[in-house]
Amino acid sequence: MVDAAAPAPKANMGDPVPRYDARAKVTGSALYASDVALPDVAYAFLLSSAIAKGRIKSFDLREARALPGVLDILTHENIGEAIRKVKFFTEGGPASNSILPLGSAEIAYGGQTIAVVLANTYEVARDAAHRVKVDYEVDRPTATFESPGAVDQELATQNKKHDDPKVGDFAAAYATAPVKIDVAYSTPAQHHNPIELFATQCGWNGSQLTVHEPSQNVYGLKNGLATQLGIEPSQVRVVSPFIGGAFGSKGALTQRTALVAIAARKLGRPVKLVPTREQGFTVATYRAETKHRIKLGATRDGKLQALSHDGFEVTSRPDPYAVAGTDASTRMYACPNITSNVTIVRADRSTPGFMRAPAETPYFFALESAMDELAVALAMDPVELRRLNDTMKEPIKSLPYTSRTLMPCFDQASEAFGWSKRNPQPGSMRDGDWLIGWGCATSAYPTQMAPATARVSLFPDGTARVEAASHEIGNGIYTVAGQTAAERLGVPVGKVQVLMGDTDLPPAPVSGGSISTASVCSAVAQACDAIRAKLGDNGTGAVPTVDLVATLKERGLGSVQEYAEWMPHGAAKGGMQMLYKGAAQPIGGAKLPDRIQFAFGAQFVEVRVHARTREIRVPRIVGAFASGRIMNTRTAHSQYMGGMIWGIGSALHEKTEIDANAARYVNTNLADYLVPVNADVVDVQVIMVPEEDTLVNPLGIKGIGEIGIVGTSAAIANAIYHATGQRLRDLPLRIDSLVEAA
Amino acid sequence: MRPFLYDRAASTESAPRAFDGLKEASLIQGRAPAEYLAGGTTLLDLMKLDVMQPARVVDITPLEPQHGSIAISDAGLRLGALVKMSTAADHPAVIKTYPVLAQSLTLAASAQLRNMATLGGNLLQRTRCNYFRDTSWSACNKRNPGSGCAALDGLNRQHAILGASQDCIATYPGDFAQALMALDATLDIAGPSGSRTIPIATLHKPPGSTPHIETTLAPGELITALSIPAGPWTRRSLYLKIRDRQSYEFALASAAIALHLDGDTVKDVRIALGGVASVPWRARDAEASLIGKPLNEATATAAARMAFVGSAPRTHNAYKVTLGQKTVVRALLQAATLEG
Amino acid sequence: MPKDRDDTRPDSVSRRRFLGATASTAALPLMGAAAASQASAQALPPPDPQAPLDMRLTVNGEAYRLGLDVRTTLLDAMRDHIGLTGSKKGCDHGQCGACTVLVDGRRTLACLTLAVAVQDRAVTTIEGLARADGPLHPMQQAFVDHDAFQCGYCTPGQIMSAIGCVKEGHADTDDAIREYMSGNICRCAAYPNIVAAVRQAKTQMEG
Repeated sequence: MVDAAAPAPKANMGDPVPRYDARAKVTGSALYASDVALPDVAYAFLLSSAIAKGRIKSFDLREARALPGVLDILTHENIGEAIRKVKFFTEGGPASNSILPLGSAEIAYGGQTIAVVLANTYEVARDAAHRVKVDYEVDRPTATFESPGAVDQELATQNKKHDDPKVGDFAAAYATAPVKIDVAYSTPAQHHNPIELFATQCGWNGSQLTVHEPSQNVYGLKNGLATQLGIEPSQVRVVSPFIGGAFGSKGALTQRTALVAIAARKLGRPVKLVPTREQGFTVATYRAETKHRIKLGATRDGKLQALSHDGFEVTSRPDPYAVAGTDASTRMYACPNITSNVTIVRADRSTPGFMRAPAETPYFFALESAMDELAVALAMDPVELRRLNDTMKEPIKSLPYTSRTLMPCFDQASEAFGWSKRNPQPGSMRDGDWLIGWGCATSAYPTQMAPATARVSLFPDGTARVEAASHEIGNGIYTVAGQTAAERLGVPVGKVQVLMGDTDLPPAPVSGGSISTASVCSAVAQACDAIRAKLGDNGTGAVPTVDLVATLKERGLGSVQEYAEWMPHGAAKGGMQMLYKGAAQPIGGAKLPDRIQFAFGAQFVEVRVHARTREIRVPRIVGAFASGRIMNTRTAHSQYMGGMIWGIGSALHEKTEIDANAARYVNTNLADYLVPVNADVVDVQVIMVPEEDTLVNPLGIKGIGEIGIVGTSAAIANAIYHATGQRLRDLPLRIDSLVEAA
Repeated sequence: MRPFLYDRAASTESAPRAFDGLKEASLIQGRAPAEYLAGGTTLLDLMKLDVMQPARVVDITPLEPQHGSIAISDAGLRLGALVKMSTAADHPAVIKTYPVLAQSLTLAASAQLRNMATLGGNLLQRTRCNYFRDTSWSACNKRNPGSGCAALDGLNRQHAILGASQDCIATYPGDFAQALMALDATLDIAGPSGSRTIPIATLHKPPGSTPHIETTLAPGELITALSIPAGPWTRRSLYLKIRDRQSYEFALASAAIALHLDGDTVKDVRIALGGVASVPWRARDAEASLIGKPLNEATATAAARMAFVGSAPRTHNAYKVTLGQKTVVRALLQAATLEG
Repeated sequence: MPKDRDDTRPDSVSRRRFLGATASTAALPLMGAAAASQASAQALPPPDPQAPLDMRLTVNGEAYRLGLDVRTTLLDAMRDHIGLTGSKKGCDHGQCGACTVLVDGRRTLACLTLAVAVQDRAVTTIEGLARADGPLHPMQQAFVDHDAFQCGYCTPGQIMSAIGCVKEGHADTDDAIREYMSGNICRCAAYPNIVAAVRQAKTQMEG
């Protein structure tokens, strides 16, 4: 029997080589940031604001300071403006928000760090933090949409780079469309909750600072931190060889890093911070809650005539963060008349940030639910509705897709799922006490890349080394980078050493936006090709035409090393300099002037809803995806599967609850912020549909880390409708709303 | 977590002494003089959060030889209070003869927590109300008497609709206590002034105006054993737990049912509710309504309705009125299909 | 940086830690269980709860002597004081399972266990399953074979929990594995692969 975890490669797919770091990870020898032992380390414990808006009138630190073992307590009173401002992430800077760490007495959001207690032991630091008394002046905070004080702003007025996609005359077409729907959806705030906490350790050696912190962007951290501390980037080294889950939460420079660095400098000894799970909800970023209004107009036979998607997203007072998923949602289907708008809603919240498929997860829940509602209105099979409106050109500017294999994904997934046996009538399928529902949806994710570098060495003993400061977040980048070098240099994959996650290595871009494999492997391949050229191999194929190691030995050269700088199609001039500053922006998707590049997929789910008590389970899910070249079917399978299970969690479980009065998060722990557990996941089938795309990059790679979550929640909502006849339009899809109507 | 003195109990008789004589010490001003430590799954959790601040921690795991065994006889089941949840849950005789007990334990927490937590400690598990657990919320009458209740107008999806008060709407989070309630268990208690035996139904106190007082145990008292009388209803018993995810979650609503049928007629039935009430909740009126009647959709629905008479939902937990009733109906009808 | 292996020998660590971090307590008499209990007698002055305690822990068959704050959890004792960082902190409240170790053979959450309370117990961690370059435990190998992890952070806890799951007899069916492994959250969501790995290793462990 073929092992499900390591599918046999099909066309344009690489071997399911076991993970490069597998042994380290199953023996506990992989060192994550908080595992590194620094000599004579002191411990930091954060104190978080108990109010969302107002200011600190005073601290009473006497009891805390009096505890034996307490070394110091950092507050705005002794930090103030010691930390210099860096730009916010979406303005091209590295920061997760634009509030200065311990910069003033002002409180901008609940959970804001207001003090850092330093002590000889963790136990004393935690105890002391609990003994700090804070006297606040409390202002009435704004929690979310429709809360008193919420301010709506059109995104285009706040972010000059944003342009609402529009084409044709939506109003006229919608008015005359024979079949139409007008529906509203919402998605909740969600937190990444990687199992690794947001640890930071800092140690100074003279003027040199070493930071151990799990990061999706070590160069961004290095450069941002140097700016904050007023030192040269060359004085900062960031080490992050293993990241215990990230999902977007470890991409930006958060407030904690500079505080730990300053603490270590003040104490003259290394400092270790491991924030609590609860603090993690406000130490890093989150997926903000969104609302959507979608109008679809179609001909009676199902051709889309009019599409409107209005999105509303919560953000903080200082930062105009938005994911603006209309960029993608307006371009999925052929439609002559489209309009869209994105509005941001300012509240007294921390600034949101990237979380796995940041734009597509909420916006495709809306779009793909609406497509299902349209199919119901048309009495049409939802797969056929997608087929009828499939297109090889995006509708806004009529740019061609570099490749689009959507319908083969639908066909293969639907075949594997058994969709043809579906009775379309809601409530018609049942197994004992359980109502069964089947639903489907489209997945898509922009194919993006960023400038990347790599240094590759080939040694006469037949070994090779790859060096690039990318980030092993579970994506398998060590493995696929090593595979790339092994193939192109003609050495066994087991002979390739891969070094990553360290700013002493050549830079790689942020590991976000599903760009790492395409960007880093392209740079690795380029460096390998330079080695091949140097050794007399002028072939351009994946595999060398001469025995490179033998040539190396013959020539008595010792080792040969090449450094490569790779630039993706459409990258801005100066992109390489930006990369070295940790600020290279991903480019691609719908942002190119000459073409559009996306990966596509289709997901089919079976839900079971108890006929009486209405709890919802997802025992079966099938996803088919076409994402260009697959480097390693094992790691790819895990990425897709993980994404789909994230989709199940996003649909049914995950919601950060906000106290409407206090504008603070309430369920800030893993017993109350629910994510799927093992028993929630039964049968997950991943189908990799072969696809060749010669345009996206020379290796033909699209990203796969995020597409798995896109559309899942809509497929589940659509299946719940099929099971029960109830259309749930607000995530998470819960028993609360189902049971009342049962 | 505050510093504490750590003792290992030498005997059941001497353990309560740790609670003596400390009241005057400045060390413990405003703090509980002592707490017993068994599995630690509640105590250490809440000590880390600074919610519980005992000056002394008395580790009673050394008493396991005396209070760690399971005995089953014609008269009933006797469970030592230091038996681990997993041990009782996996005990073949408990599974066979007292399925509601085994199920309530198996459906609780995780395998690891069940390996650690003891039966006695489980009964004393404290609420999951986040306004209680997080000391940065200033209003919590349970944690800080007189400070108010942030859950009343805050997030209360998890909160109680039965037995709550205007001072506290926290839910009793456990499962096992409901099973014991249904089976009329009694508890052996050792304490500074000797031993006593109480019905499980008198262990937990509804919040009323003193939500910080959760049980009728006096300082230093220790649950040593749980006795469950045999009865014709124990085999036809079950625990039904409804939750958002399949496992490892507290109940949104649950029902412990023990049923004695004579043919199709209900001779005796016990219904205890979890996830919906401030304390383990026995639905006695609902039980009474079923006696002498056949158990069917109509009688079960009527009983379930009766069980939730007087429920007081808040903004986010109104669904529990419906869900709780449906849970009772489903559990009753399922119990009727079991072998007696 | 990873410490040199020779430097992490239990004896040298415990000695260094004990003498270095807690020299002030070295003079304290050892308080055994009975002594600690008697310390509550009225006649003696109350002991200082902030004074470090002399503790002995047995982890992976090695004995460690440490001077630790009484509040130190088994997890923090191992990670911060012994140098065994395989067991992970993911929530510190028994909600994620990343710290799962075996205590006297039963899976236990090290984050909710006081170090002082398990001095007479045998603790086994991920580091105790295989020697540095030796063969992997069947469960470790099964996790590799089935790609039962991505980021790897929850993996030591998953593997220790999985071994406990098999030993407890709760791995007879896929449904049982899913249920009895639900105390270990994998945010990367490798669950189906974890189930396959446990299934494979069970056969080998029992074979």
